[in-house]
Amino acid sequence: MADRLNTVFGHLRNQTVKSELEVRNTAALPNWLNKPDDIVIVAARRTPIAKAKRGSFKDTLNDDLLAAVFKAVISDSKINPEDIGDICVGCVLDKQAATVARLAQFYSGIPEDVPVYSTNRQCSSGLQAVMNVAGNIRNGAYSIGLAGGVESMTRQYGSSAAGFEVNPRVGDLQVTQDVLLPMGITSENVAAKYGVTRKEQDEFALLSQQKAMQAAKQGLFDAEIIPVTTTVTDKNGDERTVTVSKDEGIRPTTIEGLTKLKPAFKENGTTTAGNSSQVSDGAAAVLVMTRQEAARRSLPILGVIRSYAVKGCPPDVMGIGPAVAIPLALEKAGLTVNDIDIYEINEAFASQAVYCVKKLGIPIERVNPKGGAIALGHPLGCTGARQFSTLLHELKRRGKRSCGVISMCMGTGMGAAAVLEYPGQA
Amino acid sequence: MNQTFRTKSRHGYSVKFSPYLPQRIACATSQYYGIVGSGSIFVLDVDPSGVRVVQQFEWSEGVFDLTWAENNENILVAAGGDGSIQVWDVSQPQGPLKALREHTKEVNAVDWSQTRNEHFVLSASWDKLIKLWDISQAQSIETFQGHDHIVYQVSWSPHVPGCFASASGDHSVRVWDCRRSDGCVALIPAHEAEVLSCDWCKYDQNLLFSGSVDGLIKGWDIRKPAHPVCVLRGHKYAVRRIRASPFSGSIVASASYDFSVKIWDTEQELCLDTVEHHTEFVYGLDYNLHVPGQMADCAWDELVHVYQRPLNLP
Repeated sequence: MADRLNTVFGHLRNQTVKSELEVRNTAALPNWLNKPDDIVIVAARRTPIAKAKRGSFKDTLNDDLLAAVFKAVISDSKINPEDIGDICVGCVLDKQAATVARLAQFYSGIPEDVPVYSTNRQCSSGLQAVMNVAGNIRNGAYSIGLAGGVESMTRQYGSSAAGFEVNPRVGDLQVTQDVLLPMGITSENVAAKYGVTRKEQDEFALLSQQKAMQAAKQGLFDAEIIPVTTTVTDKNGDERTVTVSKDEGIRPTTIEGLTKLKPAFKENGTTTAGNSSQVSDGAAAVLVMTRQEAARRSLPILGVIRSYAVKGCPPDVMGIGPAVAIPLALEKAGLTVNDIDIYEINEAFASQAVYCVKKLGIPIERVNPKGGAIALGHPLGCTGARQFSTLLHELKRRGKRSCGVISMCMGTGMGAAAVLEYPGQA
Repeated sequence: MNQTFRTKSRHGYSVKFSPYLPQRIACATSQYYGIVGSGSIFVLDVDPSGVRVVQQFEWSEGVFDLTWAENNENILVAAGGDGSIQVWDVSQPQGPLKALREHTKEVNAVDWSQTRNEHFVLSASWDKLIKLWDISQAQSIETFQGHDHIVYQVSWSPHVPGCFASASGDHSVRVWDCRRSDGCVALIPAHEAEVLSCDWCKYDQNLLFSGSVDGLIKGWDIRKPAHPVCVLRGHKYAVRRIRASPFSGSIVASASYDFSVKIWDTEQELCLDTVEHHTEFVYGLDYNLHVPGQMADCAWDELVHVYQRPLNLP
């Protein structure tokens, strides 16, 4: 035994090895041809994520959150706002989202001849907004587009169901009944059906908090967050101006603390407030264009969209969405699970995130390395767009050419996933 | 096609494509990084639909290398940490057909002769010896002495019958004629550090490559051993294994302790590609003879990757 150990150590001891100039084509990634009509991302920014109803954005409106991130990506890329061909904003709960987006556009200085619309694909609305813009660029409708996502769960969470007229026939089919299940129940269903234990969920939640805290301490969110100055009204009705620059959902967490929490949705259930995503406010924006357009403006490329997939799944276990969508997106990109350096998988619930990671065989250290929605929060329509910021700035920080995946599950039973390539420093 | 297989709790030492079946690989692995414990051999069928375990053999000691028979698609010969050379039949799960025990220390490498109608196997051992075997017989046919340190690898010439090369911790690469047991026919002072691997160019019978703890890969014309014909720089740590491409005379691949696999153009002395899909020492590496550009590697991170590298790299 000692001999074998010494022999291996001997192989590492030699000091003559010099790291000299070398050609590095990176990882097992394919050598994609860089085409002028590739869809690329040149800027991605987000607000800090604040706790709904108690956080710093409780008195901030959606249009102000959106305007902050619109301004940030325009300023990052130094593009002329007039050159934007279209704006698409993902938002789930705000029925006035299209109007709010139009207002945000003007607050951020984008002129009136630039059009805007909103889109709603549940929790992937932010990702869908980026893909809508990417698709329209590919269709030739324009060559530069702005996408974003926003949600004020302070304002709209819980009230959105008001006025929803449920079809009396909804009980006729199991699947239509399932569409109306509360999300927490779908989490319990995933845990029960696929055998995800309370312990696994709590450990995953703890890890999310620890990673987020670590990342925040190291300043790893600084490149993605645009500080937002706004006003908050306190209990006494006094307004004060604050500048928010840090995520507010990150907190010191222990496994003991998580274990003590009561199930939130079902007696004897396993889903708790501690191992579910937080209810939050926030916005994010992504500036999308063709590679040619980026080259013309000498803009460094933050990410190249390599594939996108959406797929339905049973509504009663909607959390398995990433497990159905990620393989499709990887296949379209010609990649395998192991080719991806970072997976940003939205942590709607630890139950579904754990299931998806295990099902796909993803090494856990590649999942949400800066924490996920359990720690950061999940402002529904914002999340998908927020993940672009979180993923691409981290791939860039690591420096080498590499690929990342953004994915999430959706209420009513769907999964979406996108593969993005960080091309390395030019 | 990219496929991955986890050799759970077993750390990869060597991987070889079958010379008969294009989708089949065998992987030699050891428990606890091969420092102590037992070993396993995985025989896998890899195709675009996934990875299927055809057979898994267990051995009481680490398994450090293996070689497929050239006369029977089911026969494998493996090198044991206990000094044994085991002969396995893929169709017989119960155990090895035989275990040949002569080496007094770990066997680091085995190689089956590619010369038709001769079914010789060479073994290289930590006991500084190289042995020549006919696996139908109980004893070795010949023993080759000369190296002053561990013999890490031994490799039959694909061109010259009876000729083979060896790489050793004594910093040398030696070329031998198996009909002469009185010493090597050429001694190449190849590196200023242990030499862990060697392989022959498949298109030039005089060209041999060596990989060393100094992180370098060198090419040698065995008729002129004073100076290397090429030096490939780029690995940050020791080069554990090198394989010359079966499809191009100027392409060599290397696996290293720096967690990477590199593909080189030996004529331009240029690194064409770096594969960084492992998170531990990469020990095993092979080219598929049937599928141009397809490679397999294995590492101490318990992963076996089968993947495609285009031949027409820039």
